[in-house]
Amino acid sequence: MTLVWLGRISIYLACFAALGGIGAQVLTLRRGTPSRALLWSVVSLVGVASAFVVMEFAFVTHNFSLAYVAENNATFTPLLYSLTGVWSALEGSILLWSLVLGGLLSAVVVRYRREASDPVVVWATLVMFVVAAFFLLVMAGPADPFVHNPAHVLQGQGPNALLQDNILVAIHPPLLYTGFVGFTVPFAFAIAMLATGRVHERWPLEQRHWTVLAWGALSVGIVLGSWWSYQVLGWGGFWGWDPVENAALLPWLTATAYIHSVVVQDRRGLFRVWNLSLAVATFALTILGTFFTRSGVLQSVHAFASSTLGPVLISFFFVTVGLGVALIAWRGDALRTATGVEHPLSREGLFVANNIVFVGFAIVVLLGTVFPLLYQAINGVQVTVGTPYFAAIAGPAGIFLLALMAVAPVVPWRSVSGATTWSRIRTTAWVSLATTVVLLLAGVHHWPVLVAVFLAVAAAGAATRTLVGVVQAARQRGDLWSAWRAPSTAGMVVHLGVVLLAIGIVVSTSYTSRSEVTLASGQRTVVGGQTIGFGGFAQVSNALEHQTQLVVTVGGRTIRPAITTFNGRSSQSVGTPAIDSNLLRDVYVTFDAIGQNSSVSGAQVQTGVAAGSVVLGVTVEPLLAWLWIGGLFIGFGSALSMGRRRHRDEVGQ
Amino acid sequence: MNILASFRLWLCAVVLVAVAAVVVTPSGSTWQSRVAHLESLVRCPSCTDLSVAQSTQSSSLAVRAQITSMVKAGQSDTAILTTIERSYGANILLSPSTGGLGVLLWAGPLAVVVGATAIGLRLRKRR
Amino acid sequence: MKRSIALGALATLLVVGALSWFLLTRQPISASSVQSPLLGKVAPAVSGAELGGGTFSLAAHRGDVVVVNFWSSWCEPCKQEAPNLSTFAWQQRAHKVFVIGVVFNDTVASAETFARYYGSLYPSVIDAQGAIAFHYGVTSPPTTFVINAKGIVAATLVGPTTVAQLTQVVNRVAQ
Repeated sequence: MTLVWLGRISIYLACFAALGGIGAQVLTLRRGTPSRALLWSVVSLVGVASAFVVMEFAFVTHNFSLAYVAENNATFTPLLYSLTGVWSALEGSILLWSLVLGGLLSAVVVRYRREASDPVVVWATLVMFVVAAFFLLVMAGPADPFVHNPAHVLQGQGPNALLQDNILVAIHPPLLYTGFVGFTVPFAFAIAMLATGRVHERWPLEQRHWTVLAWGALSVGIVLGSWWSYQVLGWGGFWGWDPVENAALLPWLTATAYIHSVVVQDRRGLFRVWNLSLAVATFALTILGTFFTRSGVLQSVHAFASSTLGPVLISFFFVTVGLGVALIAWRGDALRTATGVEHPLSREGLFVANNIVFVGFAIVVLLGTVFPLLYQAINGVQVTVGTPYFAAIAGPAGIFLLALMAVAPVVPWRSVSGATTWSRIRTTAWVSLATTVVLLLAGVHHWPVLVAVFLAVAAAGAATRTLVGVVQAARQRGDLWSAWRAPSTAGMVVHLGVVLLAIGIVVSTSYTSRSEVTLASGQRTVVGGQTIGFGGFAQVSNALEHQTQLVVTVGGRTIRPAITTFNGRSSQSVGTPAIDSNLLRDVYVTFDAIGQNSSVSGAQVQTGVAAGSVVLGVTVEPLLAWLWIGGLFIGFGSALSMGRRRHRDEVGQ
Repeated sequence: MNILASFRLWLCAVVLVAVAAVVVTPSGSTWQSRVAHLESLVRCPSCTDLSVAQSTQSSSLAVRAQITSMVKAGQSDTAILTTIERSYGANILLSPSTGGLGVLLWAGPLAVVVGATAIGLRLRKRR
Repeated sequence: MKRSIALGALATLLVVGALSWFLLTRQPISASSVQSPLLGKVAPAVSGAELGGGTFSLAAHRGDVVVVNFWSSWCEPCKQEAPNLSTFAWQQRAHKVFVIGVVFNDTVASAETFARYYGSLYPSVIDAQGAIAFHYGVTSPPTTFVINAKGIVAATLVGPTTVAQLTQVVNRVAQ
């Protein structure tokens, strides 16, 4: 009971501090009183952090007097999954969100403490206090994580089976939330710049810095989420176009558009209104994402249980968009520039194309996600919009983006002649063509793969050419290390990561081979070009789970697909896939069924399979590992961007 | 190296390679590729996002067996999908039929392309 | 210049407003809200060899209310439901109500063992290749279809049933 009140009081304190922060910032704006933002933000952070620590403590000590702990923890849950159990369900996820938000708010206040009285900073922190207050009020009210459990239970239900199978449960949610919550900062600055009318100073650049931080975290978070799905869900895929997955993708798409178009604003002062709109849209889409995940309106494997939060979240979404749109309409005219894009074949022209593709794709993904609801409202019939639709759109969009990536880095600002462009990409163009011919001769006859590789090599070539140029310039200056901090380095490294990701996606989805093999103990067979052998059963138990493993050999290596039964939640059984991975291909093996008269719990029994034999699902996916390597590059590139100096001029460009 | 400097030459080479790629692409659909294609369009009845091609659930296996037998019996793609829809309901297909309201789903991307072209043209006019 | 921004702002506000209001008024999904497309339609054929010998055909039972139950030996709720179905079948044996099980993706041996273990008082049909399950659109066992005397699917139940529930549904269907 004490924990309940400790937690609640911490939340109330944080909430009160956020509201106090709002009041203090309003006073600073109206009467010029010195800003107390630092005090209020730190108190709020302390409040949320205390609540978080209380919850973690309750989980680690298996304190079932809290209903939330009883639902997501058990006495035999290992320490790691107790710690991560805090964010496995709805209320705890909002607690994590608030914690990250509180941390970011304090970071922003501390970062700009020397300009704490500048109206832009005051407005920005005001907006962040409002968002923080919103989520804290939600936790104080409808989504209270500290609900007392009246029953005296000796044992909890334990976490969801799929959330205690893999260490990524400790990394993916915090990273993802850093990404989502991170977009609050550019939004806050957008509102601040609109409210004060000061868009021509260095604030857009600050805004971009925070956006890249959030974007990098979100990108890596999404890739890790795919990797996690891939490792545990058992179908060998990494993206299902699930509504919650789409909800995470939407802000990422608009943020990517923003990162590019804000460079144009930086260089040539264009697209101010558009960039402000994108900043507002990205934040609004993160709120819409929380709505899809928590309202129960769309069916999803990743959704939290439905709650009363739906109306609250969608209302906040609308208020956010309304406020942004109103401010832009009010100030918009003052932001317009007289100049424009002079020539389509120019860096700015190609960035326009980039924005059109990303934002257009986001609109289509949103349409596809919401379409089942629309259809049911009008026709009363339930429909599904899945991979065939989204893939049909993503394919052409991806091809177009690869083409842009192949040309844009070599095209200068304002305008360029076709001849100059050609002279720069000439070598890469021939290398791309040569690669394609080699593939064609080697037997690759699937034309989407050929087109994708052709463009991917070109894009990689453009990125490499830029990086080489940067290194040469740094060497001439005598300071090789400055190459890391050059403006284009981070972006080109990210582009290389995207190229790897694209090739991994196209090749693995085009050449995946799935088959079912029936093997008796000691038997071996060749499937999909791989030698698969079955060596027998192994039973492994610990306090948390019981596993029936199969000893399977792939080539020379042994892997152990299994069926895992978790103690606790009505003895859930899940299939645990095993993967043999190398740079060339992944072999994904699942324990699908067992021969007759067998009593392995959770295993499907199949007709016509001899006793003691097993049915294995074997999926061979070429180049799948390139996805994760690409993600690594993207993360590394984003980190490089953090190390950059704030102003171009400081790097001597 | 001079000959490689020619854009036109490179473009001709690209066209040649493209034609070669089209020529060698295996045409016509074997019954296996038809089955694979149909399987990718039908949702696993007891899952949320997967197609019957990707899922090894018993309900998926039943659907796959039926698709194979219907393809071997010479039924058309539309007939097969309609039969499946009749048993499981419209939400068994991973992409709604384009008739009726389904056309809106494809009108969306089309509208985006039209809008994009309009923006491109407008920006061009401005200069 | 200002007009295009104002227009864009208004258009955005309208679209987002409509979307927000639409999403606000949606109900959360509940599993029970999914209806079988077979309701009100002619019941697909159920025929084949029975466990333990004999053959069954749905057509032969025109005039009876037929309760078709899809089950498997590996499905947990089916174990819960099996005794209830037997009790119900026994109670209704003189009331022109017939209970028939359909084995859903299982081996004959396991199904027979299951039926024997639970003292099944109703026959079950072996579903070769899952054809019957396919035509009935069964996504997961246990699923029960109640077919009225005219051969139309009158009710569907997903999940384990009880004697009380079955009795209530069958009484409603028989009227």
